[in-house]
Amino acid sequence: MEDYKFLFKVVLVGNAGVGKTCLVRRFTQGLFPPGQGATIGVDFMIKTVEVDGEKVKLQIWDTAGQERFRSITQSYYRSAHALILVYDISCQPTFDCLPDWLREIEEYASSKVLRILVGNKIDREDREIPVHVGEDFASRHNMYFLETSAKEADNVEKLFMKIAEDLMQQARSKDLLRYDKDTANITGKTSVITDSNCCSRLT
Amino acid sequence: MSFDKSKIDKALFEKQNELQKELDRLKLKDEEFVKELQHLTLQTEYIDGKIKSLSKVIPVLKTIRNEAQELISTISDLSELSEKINEKVKPLEIARCRVDECQKRVSDLVDIELSSQGVQTAIINEDYEEGAGHVHRFLLIDQSLLQRTASEAENLSSVRKAVQTLQDAASQLRTIIKHKFDEAVHNEDLGSVERFFKIFPLLGMHEEGITKFCNYLCMKLEVTSQKNLKTALNTTVADKRFNIVYADTMTLLFEGIARIVDIHHPLIETYYGPGHLLSALSILQQECDKQTKLILLEFNKHRQLTRRLNQISEINKMSNSSSFSKLEKIDPKDLDLLIHEVTIMHSRAELYFKFVRRKVTMDIEIGYPNKEEQVQKLYKLDMVISTSDLNQTKIDLLSKYLQLEHYFMEESINKAVNMDTLEPGQNTSSMVDDTFFIIRKCIRRATATGSLDGICAVVNNACGVLENDFCGVLRNRLRQGYPTGYLDLTQAYNVLQTSLQQGRLQSGDTEQARTAFVVALNNTSVSIEYVETLCDTTLSDVGQALPNITSNEKGKLESCLSGLSSVITNLREIVEYGMQQLRVSAIKPRISPWVDAFLNINHQLTEDELSEYEAGDTFMNTLISNLNSLLFTFKESLTSSNYDVLVGVVAAEVSSRLEKVILKTTFNRLGGLILDKEIRSLAAYLTTTTSWSIRDKFARLTQIATVLNLEKVSEISDYWGNESSLTWRLTPTELRSIMSLRYLTTFKKSALIFIND
Ligand SMILES: Nc1nc2c(ncn2[C@@H]2O[C@H](COP(=O)(O)OP(=O)(O)O)[C@@H](O)[C@H]2O)c(=O)[nH]1
Ligand SMILES: [Mg+2]
Repeated sequence: MEDYKFLFKVVLVGNAGVGKTCLVRRFTQGLFPPGQGATIGVDFMIKTVEVDGEKVKLQIWDTAGQERFRSITQSYYRSAHALILVYDISCQPTFDCLPDWLREIEEYASSKVLRILVGNKIDREDREIPVHVGEDFASRHNMYFLETSAKEADNVEKLFMKIAEDLMQQARSKDLLRYDKDTANITGKTSVITDSNCCSRLT
Repeated sequence: MSFDKSKIDKALFEKQNELQKELDRLKLKDEEFVKELQHLTLQTEYIDGKIKSLSKVIPVLKTIRNEAQELISTISDLSELSEKINEKVKPLEIARCRVDECQKRVSDLVDIELSSQGVQTAIINEDYEEGAGHVHRFLLIDQSLLQRTASEAENLSSVRKAVQTLQDAASQLRTIIKHKFDEAVHNEDLGSVERFFKIFPLLGMHEEGITKFCNYLCMKLEVTSQKNLKTALNTTVADKRFNIVYADTMTLLFEGIARIVDIHHPLIETYYGPGHLLSALSILQQECDKQTKLILLEFNKHRQLTRRLNQISEINKMSNSSSFSKLEKIDPKDLDLLIHEVTIMHSRAELYFKFVRRKVTMDIEIGYPNKEEQVQKLYKLDMVISTSDLNQTKIDLLSKYLQLEHYFMEESINKAVNMDTLEPGQNTSSMVDDTFFIIRKCIRRATATGSLDGICAVVNNACGVLENDFCGVLRNRLRQGYPTGYLDLTQAYNVLQTSLQQGRLQSGDTEQARTAFVVALNNTSVSIEYVETLCDTTLSDVGQALPNITSNEKGKLESCLSGLSSVITNLREIVEYGMQQLRVSAIKPRISPWVDAFLNINHQLTEDELSEYEAGDTFMNTLISNLNSLLFTFKESLTSSNYDVLVGVVAAEVSSRLEKVILKTTFNRLGGLILDKEIRSLAAYLTTTTSWSIRDKFARLTQIATVLNLEKVSEISDYWGNESSLTWRLTPTELRSIMSLRYLTTFKKSALIFIND
């Protein structure tokens, strides 16, 4: 049995080239990858972090932005605990596509999913989307907002840690709810997001 | 002086004491010194011995030192000498190399003379192999060196001439061979094609030879593929391969290319050297792309893939709106064959790329020993594959497959739920087997595509369908509750039995609802086992189908499969929910009056009353027989795991109810004795009814009975507060109030004080 108490699934979406893979690499491996190819399908990475002295395992799914991988990537929305929607602050079209992405999220993700809007590449000089425009969009759609640079490691750690903290808080309050409900039950033991992997004996 | 004498005496005495102590201390020190001295004396002897033996060695050491110095000077002399020799040898070595080079150049010049004579004759005789051989030898000579030789040596005009002749002959031969090759292609003269193909590299035309030859192979490929496609289009429905005829055509194309590679690669390697397969394959890939496109065009047209996908996306869109029911759905069965064919196509493309990658990588590793070059070439191979149309096609096929499969899975399960039937003698209905059969089939098909992303997506979709739709159906059925209404239990039982046995329900909504409830409960618990099995089999199936997946990929699959564990959590909650329903409506109302009968019985008995009681129908005999018939009602209709849970529910209910009535009763010794006996027999009875341990459920009751059965109040100290005895489930307060049920009748309350909190 691995040594962690909470397991959360985080899925990154957004147009190809906005820097999703770089954000994930920066966070999980602490580097800015030089010229890797576009993501094929879905990439998978794990990082365990500590929040309030508890081990939290983040399962990070980095999706390909292109349309033709959509039927693969869509299948990951449903069980996501957090969805990071990324655009490139130096590229208007990636911002213009956000409503399309939101529609996808509405359709496939759980309504309770934690949603974060991220404007990436703030190290670049040629900004096209002012901060307040991104902020506005996020607040209109009930999302967290953060601007990052995968290249300069700006706000990347903060992004994922904030997600871990928020989800943990959610899970805890849900656990309390469950606990109350369960006192009436026969066996009274349920684990919520703690990973009761049915395959763990095979790993 | 008014000092008191005694005071002075006392002071003196103290002083004396102190001195005595000091003296003792010094004595002790003295002894220690003596000991140490003795010890040192002993060591002196030892050290003396050592010094003596060392002084004996000194002369020997002197000799050794002298000899070593001599040795050093000899060695430095030698090294000087060898350096001098080395300096003298170096020029000699250089001279020898020059002589070798000279010799080689002379022999090259002789070769050139000979070749220039031979090449013309060979061309005239159309002996191109011979001619090209001469050119080849000429080309092997360092051309710049040759140029220098020719210009330096005035008197070597013959050499210059020979070089000129050979250069002319080379370009002449190049033109001829190109022409001849084209002619051979035109005449479809395979022998000549191969003949001239072998000559290109002799003339330094490697790339050109490969290109021409592969273009020729592409032509052949096109002809064959077109023929295959035509055959495919003419295949009749009656043909047993009709349904996968386009996949077959694609397979033939890939196999054709693989055969070309297998046959011609050795030829290329022999005549061109290793490292040329990449160029060859990138040309063949273009033809492969072209032919794949043509096949897919026909496939799309005849199988109406796009139309069906549009229809599906239309249905999916409408499913959220109200006019959903009006829309005509596609029967998932009608998609079965299509999905199968798409799967085959994808897996063939996957296999083909695997083959190409393996072959070319091997060739690159041999052809480019330089690591840097190797990496570069391998990157180029990646690019050739990833930018090929076939790769795009493959990705599209997978995407389409996933859309079709998702619809198929959802719709088929929907159908399975709607057509749910209960076979006689079964305690689960058809929807469970059907649902898991469908999911297993879909995951198997995904595995057959050879794409891990595909498998993961189908697993994810399966988790979604199970968690939302399937669990929803089960929960809904249990939400209806387990209706009661029969006062005569035997009658209820009979009706339930017959309806279950005959696979249909005879009369009345109640029986129907009861059966539906029990079956749903069974379906849920069986589903838990099915999901567990599904998880295991998927892991092992994928392990077999994709034996070379990386540990990261394996982690990816396992993470997706862990979605099934939340399905299990869900199902467990549903079972619990159902059991609660059952407890509230069918268990509790029955058990309460049976247990409450306890209150009507006297528990302060005399010896005579005791034997009379035991001779008759005791409370416990009646209770057990009632419980027995209650459990029997469910024994046949519940799955064994559900039945076990139910027994647990009954046990918990009985024991908590019994505890309540006991607390309302007062006992004497014999009353306690009977209670202890009866509770033991109840626990024994329930233990035999299930494979689970339910002792735990009776722990409190057993302890209560033990307490009430004590002979004397003081005996409690054998149990209470004695670490080694037993783990108490009763709090001190509870214990006191239980004891008071009996002992207050005979003892004063103060007798209970030694039960400390
Ligand atoms: N300047 C800058 N470039 C970035 C940053 N993040 C990613 N990139 C570049 O953007 C390109 C696409 O990044 P990638 O992570 O592959 O995007 P993805 O398709 O969303 O996964 C790459 O060339 C990266 O080097 C960033 O924070 N700053
Ligand atoms: Mg990417």
